[in-house]
Amino acid sequence: MPSSFCVFKYFFEHRYRHYQRAGDCDLSWISKIQVNQPAVLRRAEQIQARRMVKKEWQAAWLLKAVTFIDLTTLSGDDTSSNVQRLCYKAKYPIREDLLKALNVHDKGLTTAAVCVYPARVCDAVKALKAAGSTIPVASVATGFPAGQTHLKTRLEEIRLAVEDGATEIDVVINRTLVLTGQWEALYDEIRQFRKACGEAHLKTILATGELGSLTNVYKASMIAMMAGSDFIKTSTGKETVNATFPVAIVMLRAIRDFFWKTGNKIGFKPAGGIRSAKDSLAWLSLIKEELGDEWLTPELFRIGASTLLSDIERQIYHHVTGRYAAYHDLPMS
Amino acid sequence: MAATHAQRSTREIFTTLEYGPVPESHACALAWLDTQDRHLGHYVNGKWLKPEHRNSVPCRDPITGENLASCPQAQAEDVAAAVEAARTAWENWSGLPGASRAQYLTRLAKMIQKHQRLLWTLESLVTGRAVREVRDRDIPLAQQLLQWHAVQAYTQEETLAGWEPMGVIGLILSPTFSFLEMMWRICPALAVGCTVVVLVPPGSPTPLLLAQLAGELGSFPGILNVINGPASLGPILASQPGVQKVTFCGAVEGGLRLLIQESVWDETMRRLQERMARLRGGRGLDGAVDMGARGAAAHDLAQRYVREAQSQGAQVFQAGDVPSVSPFFPPTLVSDLPPASPCTQAEVPWPVVVASPFRTAKEALAVANGTPRGGSASVWSERLGQALELGYGLRVGTVWINAHGLRHPEVPTGGCKESGSSWHGGPDGLYEYLRPSGTPARLPSLSENLNYDTFGLAVPLTLPSGPEIGPSPAAPYGLFIGGRFQAPGARSSRCIQDSKGNLQAYVAEGGAKDIRGAVEAAHQAAPGWVSQPPGARASLLWALASALERRESAFTSALERHGVELKTAKVEVELSARRLRAWGARAQAQGHLLQVAELRGPVLRLREPLGVLAIVCPDEWPLLAFASLLAAALAHGNAVVLVPSGVCPIPALEVCQDMATLLPAGLVNVVTGDRDHLTRCLALHQDVQALWYFGSAQGSQFVEWASAGNLKPVWVNRGRPRAWDQEAQGAGPELGLRAARTKALWLPMGD
Repeated sequence: MPSSFCVFKYFFEHRYRHYQRAGDCDLSWISKIQVNQPAVLRRAEQIQARRMVKKEWQAAWLLKAVTFIDLTTLSGDDTSSNVQRLCYKAKYPIREDLLKALNVHDKGLTTAAVCVYPARVCDAVKALKAAGSTIPVASVATGFPAGQTHLKTRLEEIRLAVEDGATEIDVVINRTLVLTGQWEALYDEIRQFRKACGEAHLKTILATGELGSLTNVYKASMIAMMAGSDFIKTSTGKETVNATFPVAIVMLRAIRDFFWKTGNKIGFKPAGGIRSAKDSLAWLSLIKEELGDEWLTPELFRIGASTLLSDIERQIYHHVTGRYAAYHDLPMS
Repeated sequence: MAATHAQRSTREIFTTLEYGPVPESHACALAWLDTQDRHLGHYVNGKWLKPEHRNSVPCRDPITGENLASCPQAQAEDVAAAVEAARTAWENWSGLPGASRAQYLTRLAKMIQKHQRLLWTLESLVTGRAVREVRDRDIPLAQQLLQWHAVQAYTQEETLAGWEPMGVIGLILSPTFSFLEMMWRICPALAVGCTVVVLVPPGSPTPLLLAQLAGELGSFPGILNVINGPASLGPILASQPGVQKVTFCGAVEGGLRLLIQESVWDETMRRLQERMARLRGGRGLDGAVDMGARGAAAHDLAQRYVREAQSQGAQVFQAGDVPSVSPFFPPTLVSDLPPASPCTQAEVPWPVVVASPFRTAKEALAVANGTPRGGSASVWSERLGQALELGYGLRVGTVWINAHGLRHPEVPTGGCKESGSSWHGGPDGLYEYLRPSGTPARLPSLSENLNYDTFGLAVPLTLPSGPEIGPSPAAPYGLFIGGRFQAPGARSSRCIQDSKGNLQAYVAEGGAKDIRGAVEAAHQAAPGWVSQPPGARASLLWALASALERRESAFTSALERHGVELKTAKVEVELSARRLRAWGARAQAQGHLLQVAELRGPVLRLREPLGVLAIVCPDEWPLLAFASLLAAALAHGNAVVLVPSGVCPIPALEVCQDMATLLPAGLVNVVTGDRDHLTRCLALHQDVQALWYFGSAQGSQFVEWASAGNLKPVWVNRGRPRAWDQEAQGAGPELGLRAARTKALWLPMGD
């Protein structure tokens, strides 16, 4: 009974959200926007220095950060063995004895998702099933990372990944459309991605490092949300400039504006370059400051990262034991 | 036990994801206070001075009220000792090559770097300000200030040739100051070769620590002396022999006024309130708070203001995560305050922001300029054209476009109107502590005999005194106001005698009503003159110079009648024309661009006119001094009210005849009459924006006293004649500096 209730609830919510989003593309929401870049830079600078957490707060925040991670491997040399290892690490992100010492071992702490290339989705689904885990598998798609393939193949890529069992699809947008100002065409493309995803969540990667200006970042964010994205994501991790605070502030303000206009909460995922535990704390406080506590849940906030988790584990180790961990003290992912 | 508590709370925090305390240890601040046995003294001549039998005042933690140390209140003899130390040090310090002073300032910057934790914890502990603000902004800026001024000292011989350090500078700090404000003033003073005596309100140990750091560099004790005492010691400090200048240093940033265009009012208020709700307040020494507290007095002030605003019908919005006990006060947004209510006129206290709507940019400018304050302002707009227009139009010292609160040693900061007319930082800051080489030192004694109530009050009566043997054609008669000669309000005249004591002519006897009319006329002409491009101003000055040369014989004969030799008279006319041309040419090279490292984009250093400038010309060099002062004032875009030479006003009136045809009406107004009386009228006029006085020592003293009413900048000669025919004194850079005020316009860029 409880499980069917859950399913119904999920279904209902999902449908409901879908219905809400199927709005038209309202270009008036972006036409007047002009982002004040110097002010954004200043805010970005301040926010990193203004909010620190120490001791128990730091440990708790770091553990929370683990639950936001989309544990990612996106390399040419990925095989089923390292994907399997990654999935296992997603299920057991922090050493059990450390969790026990902090009395959070019963919280079912896992990462938010595992993120792989489309061809590795099968491996990931299989490995997670074997580990008895319900962690969702996310797949990048649509000609990741450049997006410079035909629309037809990009759409087919989404469908295949969903077929293979991915429940979250990270698509890249067509930067050409942004840079040439074809906002309606961009909207149409993302609508098609949305449709191809079916029930799977759509995370739209804006590749902000290649959009030219913060104003374009805001506009692309708005278009992506209007077209039905569940998440907007900063970057592929393959551009030269990845997740930066100024870009994040602009995207978060767009999310807030969209929420104020429609009542829909859209998620945010920074990705690329977030490697240290300290970085992750800054990202958490940025979300808390700009959007509030209600966004600090895996449904609305993810961090795309591959090496971040091991640094967090080291910090937790240090917090619990008072010593810095040796390389071999912590299991590899 | 503690361990289990910690574990349980980690579990709790995992759910709530709240912020925790980030206490900054202030052990080193306390340890430093312990080195003085919690009993601070004054720091004079490189060592602690702890005189006995002084009242002592406690230095308290403004948040807990804990007594941290005690500070002795200085008495007159302590002030004298400090000034004596500074005076002795000055003899050596001012004579050093700039490079040596540069080296010393660099070492002091290093010293601050080495002890920065002590500095920031002490400052945050005793002021209650957020440690983050002190650590991340004030300390680096203090070091930058020292380093930038070290560079200025190094190049001083080259770039500041013709100027010399004033001497001992007295600096009086207000009870709520930040140590950074002190740095803005002592750095340029020390760099150019002055020495400083700082009078700090008791219970502020940071300046003492700075003085100790400077003193421990060893080489030059006595260049920076700090004494604790109430501001009532100010006059004693000012009257010490050797003190050349006293500067005041106001409070740290107060509350703000926000003007929001009606069309974006709702959206802006919503975003503002959203942001305010996320502000965190708490103990200053917590590393994760946005705002600290500034003591119980500041809390009460804010509370009183907010209650009053509420009673006058205002909406009050308070938010943020701030402890609800005194001295903490939440960030407060006041809106819907009726424009005529007393709160609208009053100064807004920290941390209150008063928002009011406006319809057009023009209206916003009128509202912003309609206050007696003129420190700084920021303009937020995505339309660059509009933002620039507002930036140029605001009558303040600093304007930030799409930014707020940026400061840099290279950019002068100052103000106008009641925010004071002195400058810190940049080239303007250096000149505050310099005087043209060869200017005699200021004597501290003020005349006790001067009666401010009666100075220049009565006008001596003039009766007909013999036949008029004037030149032919007769000199023009009347006051030159609004572009034409007018009869004086008093309808009476005064006689002007030639060098032989014969009656030369009658000139109009101007009075208070005439001054009022002249100032009004000048105000009407001022906007038109300001908007003239420098080239147009130059060509008018050149035309005036030509007119002067054309009528050379008339001028020389007028001068000759006053006993000037023909040769000298010719030189005077020729020089006068040359001055008009020279200032006309200089009008075209005003202001410059500064490049600040941290800022992407330029800072414009604008030189803006003072507005309506009143000039009381000296008796000597009746034509040359008149022309020199007039030319400098006009070239910088001012509208002018002049009182010409008292003994020989005829040449000035002759020039008026030419100006009547050449210059816009009302730009230059010349009022003849009793100098003391006219000076009194001008000094007490609140709408005269600056006053230059060249006359008696008594008159100078009166001008300084009376001008305090609207804090207009004054320039007085204290009864000393100037060599107007010399380039340095008659046309030197000092005139240019005095004839305009600086505005820093910050233009951050980026898309």
